[in-house]
Amino acid sequence: MKSNKYKVHGTLRSWLCLLPSFIIIGLIVVFPIVYTGYISLTNMNIYHWFDFTVIGLENYMKALTVFDGGFLQALALTVLWTAVNMLFQLVIAFVMASLLNTPRLRLRRLYKTVLMFPWAMPGYVSILLWKNGMFNSQFGLLNQWLDRLGMEPVQWLAGDTVAFVACLVVNLWLALPFMIMIMDGAMQSIDRSYYESALLDGAGWFRRSISLTIPAIRPIIAPAVIITVFTTFKQFDVIYLLTQQVGAKTGANIHTVLTYAYENAFVTSNYGYSSAISIFIFVLLIVFTMVTNLRKGGRKHAENP
Amino acid sequence: MRRILTAAVAALIMTATLSACSGNEADHGQPDTDGGSAPVQLTIWHDKEDAVAAVLQAELDKLKPEVAVTLEKKNGLTEALKMVGNDPNAAPDMYFFAHDKLGVYAEMGILTPVTEFVDAETLGGFLPMTTQAATYKEEIYQLPIYFETLLFMYNRALMPDEEVPATTEDLLAFMKATTGNGQYGFVEQHSTAYYSAGWIHGFGGEIISSDGIPQLNSDKTVAALEYHLNFARLMTGESEYATVNTLFMEGKAAATIGGPWLVPTVREAGIDLGLAPMPVVNETGLPIAPYSGVQGLHVLKVAADNPQKNAAIKTVLNQLLGPDIGVAMAAASGCAPASAACYEMDAVKNDEMVMMMREVAENAVPMPNIPEMDVMWNATSNMLVDINMRKADVRESADKAQKQAEDLIASMQ
Repeated sequence: MKSNKYKVHGTLRSWLCLLPSFIIIGLIVVFPIVYTGYISLTNMNIYHWFDFTVIGLENYMKALTVFDGGFLQALALTVLWTAVNMLFQLVIAFVMASLLNTPRLRLRRLYKTVLMFPWAMPGYVSILLWKNGMFNSQFGLLNQWLDRLGMEPVQWLAGDTVAFVACLVVNLWLALPFMIMIMDGAMQSIDRSYYESALLDGAGWFRRSISLTIPAIRPIIAPAVIITVFTTFKQFDVIYLLTQQVGAKTGANIHTVLTYAYENAFVTSNYGYSSAISIFIFVLLIVFTMVTNLRKGGRKHAENP
Repeated sequence: MRRILTAAVAALIMTATLSACSGNEADHGQPDTDGGSAPVQLTIWHDKEDAVAAVLQAELDKLKPEVAVTLEKKNGLTEALKMVGNDPNAAPDMYFFAHDKLGVYAEMGILTPVTEFVDAETLGGFLPMTTQAATYKEEIYQLPIYFETLLFMYNRALMPDEEVPATTEDLLAFMKATTGNGQYGFVEQHSTAYYSAGWIHGFGGEIISSDGIPQLNSDKTVAALEYHLNFARLMTGESEYATVNTLFMEGKAAATIGGPWLVPTVREAGIDLGLAPMPVVNETGLPIAPYSGVQGLHVLKVAADNPQKNAAIKTVLNQLLGPDIGVAMAAASGCAPASAACYEMDAVKNDEMVMMMREVAENAVPMPNIPEMDVMWNATSNMLVDINMRKADVRESADKAQKQAEDLIASMQ
């Protein structure tokens, strides 16, 4: 009886402690989503800016027209963009983190600081530096090198494929520090004695990585991977600033879901309509999360029957 | 002890969060309305460089002590006005900005026509192009102060005065003769709507009609795009601001079309800069006619509805009707005054750049101020990129862009 009372009291206290966080999350996460949902049901646009009224699902009907061939193409490209980015990020970050964890490595802290550098810079600045400093066909470093080698200049951001690769490189440059840091931290948490026994058993680097390092770090890096999948999926800055910025378009026609929605809806200043599209994209992301979680849950189930 | 501490921290966070959200209206206090001798405080938002703001401030300081005007530089002015334009506690009383957004704000209902404060006939003393820019649905919503438009600039070391092209065919011949080996005869932001508009106007075409119908695939626009492609082929692949201007400033391009804001830096770079009238399109006999942007004061409705401020606003606008402000702006920052009287004065007459803008203004087309224009920049740029950079068919690209523009305009409603 006494323990039951204590339990109730404990539960109440836990909820009370959580209350401030709930309120903050409610205000900064839940409220904007609910409000966007409300605006999507109104005719809030520049002709009804302060006197908007609820018009039902009209905006959603209209939003469906944005989901045309161009949108599906953008969706496919977004999935490809996310997959390729994740593949490169995981492989490169794993190799870099392994190298950072080489026993008796000198200047380890210096390397880590240098590797963190891209993360410390504001993304907007980094992206424009890459655009003008590296990829510019007249003054960029890459074409200056080609020029020295006696080769023709290349329009790095003009063709679809070459621009996709350029965007990929810049995104990797921006995103790798985070992944390296997480992997490095995860690797340092592995007990050294496992490696010692593996070495005694004669396992090489590759075998140790496959059978020891990867299984050991997987649960630790999983949340970071999920977060990165989403930030990559909804990446806007890199592709927009490198290739699509109005007044500085480069000729590449690569669109992610978000740049496509921006060009075909958000520029209209029709908040009702844009909100409806945002809600659609929100639902898309929720579905994407559920699919990812289902797969993860399924695997766990298989591993621990 | 620990429990108490946890509870205290939780309570503190909650209070802080809630109080942060409750807003602080006291910060935006109204001026003293008890009618005493205290000056009426007016706030003007702007996004201009310091030299321009200082001239305006100096002119308005003459109204002290009755009216005290504060100029407030506001980043993201256009978006901020959308958010707080009808909130008497947060909105400014006036704002100083280009004319091209006034249609949006007029539709939103946050502007009052300036003719409520100044005599409409007095506005006849302004260049017609500037008052045309300030007019939306037959109401004048802006008191024009100065305007900007593009200029034909050349580097005398690479293009002697006698070779300055009078026609577009002359320009093309010059480009063919001088482009190659990292040098360019002429560069411009060929795939940007703002710069290409001049060529489209030179063919009698337009990007959007005054009643909001896109004109991207009209025969005149298509003819301009086809002709302009001959020039774009002889320019750099990139078309953005930094590349084009750097080429000109480093002496790698003989001529360019650029804004007056470029002139000081070009002169600093040691270029012997010449300014010339826009070349005339051979086929039509019309000069390249760029867009112009007219900068001036707009009055917010929330301020006009306040009786005390209403009188002060009238004082402010009437103070700016004379030529003084225009002459001072021209001297301080090379701005071309909106008031026609300024061009009779020696200080302005002797300024080559300002007088050249005055000449271009004869043909310049004010950027459309209708809300529909907001979506045209992107649709037009996409079309130009397709044609000039992706080598797509001109007519097909124009049709595609026209469709996109029509869809976007339909989506605005």
